[in-house]
Amino acid sequence: MDNSKEITRVLFENFQPQAIHLFYAIGYLAIAVFTYGVYVQIRKYRRGKPDGSWNELFHRFVDMVKTMATHRTLVRRDKSAGRAHGLIFLGFVLLFIGTSTITLEYDILEPLFGVKFWYGNFYLLFSLVLDLAGLGLIVGLIYMMYRRKWLHLPKLDYKRVDRQEGDPDFDRSQYRREDWAFLWSFILIGITGFILEATRLVWLNDRPEVWDYRMWSPVGALLAQIMQTFGMVSESAGAFRPYLWWFHGLLSLTFIACIPYTKIKHIFTAATSLMFKDPLAGRRLPKVPDDQKTAGYKTITDLTWKNLLHLDACTKCGRCQEACPANAVGAPLSPRDVILSLREFANHALSAKELPKEAELNIHGKDVGQVFMETLWSCRTCLACVEICPVAVEHVPIIVQMRRNLVEAGEMEPLLEKTLQTIHKTGNSFGESKRKRAAWAKELPFEIKDARKEPVDVLWFVGDYASFDPRNQKVTQSFAKLMHHAGVNFGLLFEAELNAGNDVRRVGEEGLYELLASSNIGTLQACDFASIVTTDPHSFNTIRNEYPDFGGKFEIEHYTTLVKRLIETGQVKLKKKLDYRVTFHDPCHLGRYNKGYDAPREVIKLLGCELVEMARNRDNSFCCGAGGGRIWIPDPVGIEKPSANRMKEAGQIEGLQVFVVSCPKDLTMFEDALKTSGFEGQFVVRELIELIDECIEYEVWEDTAVTA
Amino acid sequence: MKILVAVKQVAALDEDFEIRADEKDVDEDFLLYDLNEWDDFSLEEAMKIKEAGTTEVEVVVVSVGPDRVDESLRKCLAKGADRAIRVWDDSIEGSDAIAIGRILAAVAKKEAPDMIFAGVQSSDQAYASTGISTAAYLNWPHAAVVADLQYQAGNKSAVVRRELEGGLLQEVEINCPAVLTIQLGINKPRYASLRGIKQAAAKPIEEVTLSDIGLSGADVGAGNSMSHVRRMYIPAKGRAEMIEGTIAEQAAKLIQIMNEFKGV
Ligand code: SF4
Ligand code: SF4
Repeated sequence: MDNSKEITRVLFENFQPQAIHLFYAIGYLAIAVFTYGVYVQIRKYRRGKPDGSWNELFHRFVDMVKTMATHRTLVRRDKSAGRAHGLIFLGFVLLFIGTSTITLEYDILEPLFGVKFWYGNFYLLFSLVLDLAGLGLIVGLIYMMYRRKWLHLPKLDYKRVDRQEGDPDFDRSQYRREDWAFLWSFILIGITGFILEATRLVWLNDRPEVWDYRMWSPVGALLAQIMQTFGMVSESAGAFRPYLWWFHGLLSLTFIACIPYTKIKHIFTAATSLMFKDPLAGRRLPKVPDDQKTAGYKTITDLTWKNLLHLDACTKCGRCQEACPANAVGAPLSPRDVILSLREFANHALSAKELPKEAELNIHGKDVGQVFMETLWSCRTCLACVEICPVAVEHVPIIVQMRRNLVEAGEMEPLLEKTLQTIHKTGNSFGESKRKRAAWAKELPFEIKDARKEPVDVLWFVGDYASFDPRNQKVTQSFAKLMHHAGVNFGLLFEAELNAGNDVRRVGEEGLYELLASSNIGTLQACDFASIVTTDPHSFNTIRNEYPDFGGKFEIEHYTTLVKRLIETGQVKLKKKLDYRVTFHDPCHLGRYNKGYDAPREVIKLLGCELVEMARNRDNSFCCGAGGGRIWIPDPVGIEKPSANRMKEAGQIEGLQVFVVSCPKDLTMFEDALKTSGFEGQFVVRELIELIDECIEYEVWEDTAVTA
Repeated sequence: MKILVAVKQVAALDEDFEIRADEKDVDEDFLLYDLNEWDDFSLEEAMKIKEAGTTEVEVVVVSVGPDRVDESLRKCLAKGADRAIRVWDDSIEGSDAIAIGRILAAVAKKEAPDMIFAGVQSSDQAYASTGISTAAYLNWPHAAVVADLQYQAGNKSAVVRRELEGGLLQEVEINCPAVLTIQLGINKPRYASLRGIKQAAAKPIEEVTLSDIGLSGADVGAGNSMSHVRRMYIPAKGRAEMIEGTIAEQAAKLIQIMNEFKGV
């Protein structure tokens, strides 16, 4: 290396002053166009409602930088695309920093202070790094082109499931064109950059301070070699260079000017979206302020600025659609399309100087950019979309907010409407008398304490399905026996327990949810207990994540963690081991919602079972189809149910004996699906509690049961 | 233009109910109250007229009953009714459908509506005569079991289709003002969201006493009704028994059973 000042690149070498001025003028113009675009975008976001996500900005920023630097969210479930993006991202960032460094010296430090640093060793290292960055960029882009052209990935097909062929927004071909325009212009900038570099080397090959150090830009050097082989000499290179220079320069400036108007803006929107990510998105739905007249989202301006920002962050990668159970069974829902529809709507309605009339802002309906009610009702709020979105788009809160509006307008399935009325009337979705809530306990050989009347350690919140569904009552009884056996001091709320409201809230009936939640919170607060346990992941989620917003802060755990502890401490003694080959289905509300992936698996192993995972497991678990109130809406006949789809997946496991679940609704859904999908006789569906039950010997009670 | 919708809060039986000590009704502890199902439809019919027309239409719901009825009235307000009236006086307790009709007619005289809608019947008592007796006291025309209504706010008459036995429909033209009793299924009642009901709590419910409508305790109540509940009970389960033996033995057994029934 050599640190002499000669080793550098002379900017605008051999340019007429007019040419330089012209370039600067175009540069400023590009920046002006860019700035105006940014202004329009920000004005658009400001037309949304406020959002309280401004807390802990520094923390958020650090998290965002970490996510971007590691590309953690991008490599998930699509390693090659994630890595290719990583190359492009790194290349872009380095080239951007490089260009900024040059600007810093040439336009600021040198003219103002006479400071120069871009020469010698630094310059050489700089050349090497940027050369490699450019190479990475091009390699990444080539892979992306290959992927789009030849891999035929369903998730990159923009045809819509909620629109018909012939509808104006059916295939969204403009997106495809934009994708390709983006890829081509980007790669052309990279390629012309390298050719430009090579041309300069050939042009100045008689200057040792240039030519002798050419290996510090290896790609350029290689290209220069090739050009020379093809007969290019210094003069021809010098003559060719200005054309290429202008082409490269103008293309780059156009690219910059286009950022806020095209998909390139995801550079900014995705980053900010990640920064404002809500770790509880969908798990804790937004409250409706008391003074707000109507609930939910009716118009595009009902969305918060954060929602609007999320819409713009979407890169159409299709991962959410790929993970969506509704989409998988052909329901007219793709979470991506919901986001894109609303984005198109927002761009159309909110980008102009004046806001259109109220009526033109309605996001519900059948027109371009509007979201169908069938689409919204197809969602099972399973959170698979939110979980996988690499740029932290939060679909579920938006979908539920839109449903709230549908509920208020009464636009829902008659059966769902009936169920909501039933829940209002009786406090449970089965329409049973409150008095019968703990009827299952009457058959037990011991009495369960009434937590309203005496203090207990553990309050068991049973939930509707576990209380009223005959099949699940058996499981409920087993769990009661288990707790009794383990000597846990526990009690129930009996008829004072109401539906916890998790699914009512996800349906969008916020008023009913408030009623249920505040009633349960009142009841719970009047009891004396240390913590709550439940076998129902739905109740678990809302009590854990949503009741605090209504003043109910309680310790709560799902039974799987409690049982694991009881076994480990020896309070529950396993008298025998099971040798079943089993698989485990993560319930959405336990797994994705609350990250309870490990406890059930550990219990399964403690029981001695051999656990074989399905392809879609843990955070990629496939919803049984019952979430979001869909258990109260009949699935259309003739198309596959998500639960049947799941059964097929399990059926592929060789020698599978038991399909283990840990959620009452799962038990109902999958036992049904087992019959209808033809796997009956091959394996069985069991609640984990039932397996544990097999391993415990209840000698004493069996006796009392007989004598009683 | 005003439509008066008469509604009732009906009782449904909870699991394992018990009869009151005086055997006249079910113990109130075992009753769940809700708006009568038919009334959802008659209110919806009124709301449709209100929303369809260019003329201003006021929909007023009226009910006879104690405090608890407010909850049902609030549901009506949540669905869009403009006003709600609740008539109550302890002396009303025990009134039959005809006496209730008298009260409703008195309210109607004061309110002077252009139409009165009521449900065909209530799901708990099923007299199916409250609406009709209201018409009788007002001396207005009426049509019962209306399954279809063609009427615009301000019209002098309405065309109704009445549901008859055997799937027959009868089309009737009726002069207004009139009383119509509305049948289930005439429309699709809207959903009253809980937030809507909560917000409706801000709308006042007019509490009306008997004297406000020109009646007194002498016009209502069990004592002034033409029918009285004597007893409410659960009939003994029917029994069936296979009679065995020869023809003669069977006949003898049959006579014995018949005599037991007659209490001989
Ligand atoms: S929550 Fe689940 S069902 Fe709803 S859009 Fe997302 S992935 Fe699809
Ligand atoms: S919402 Fe997220 S996951 Fe879905 S297409 Fe857009 S960027 Fe991809």
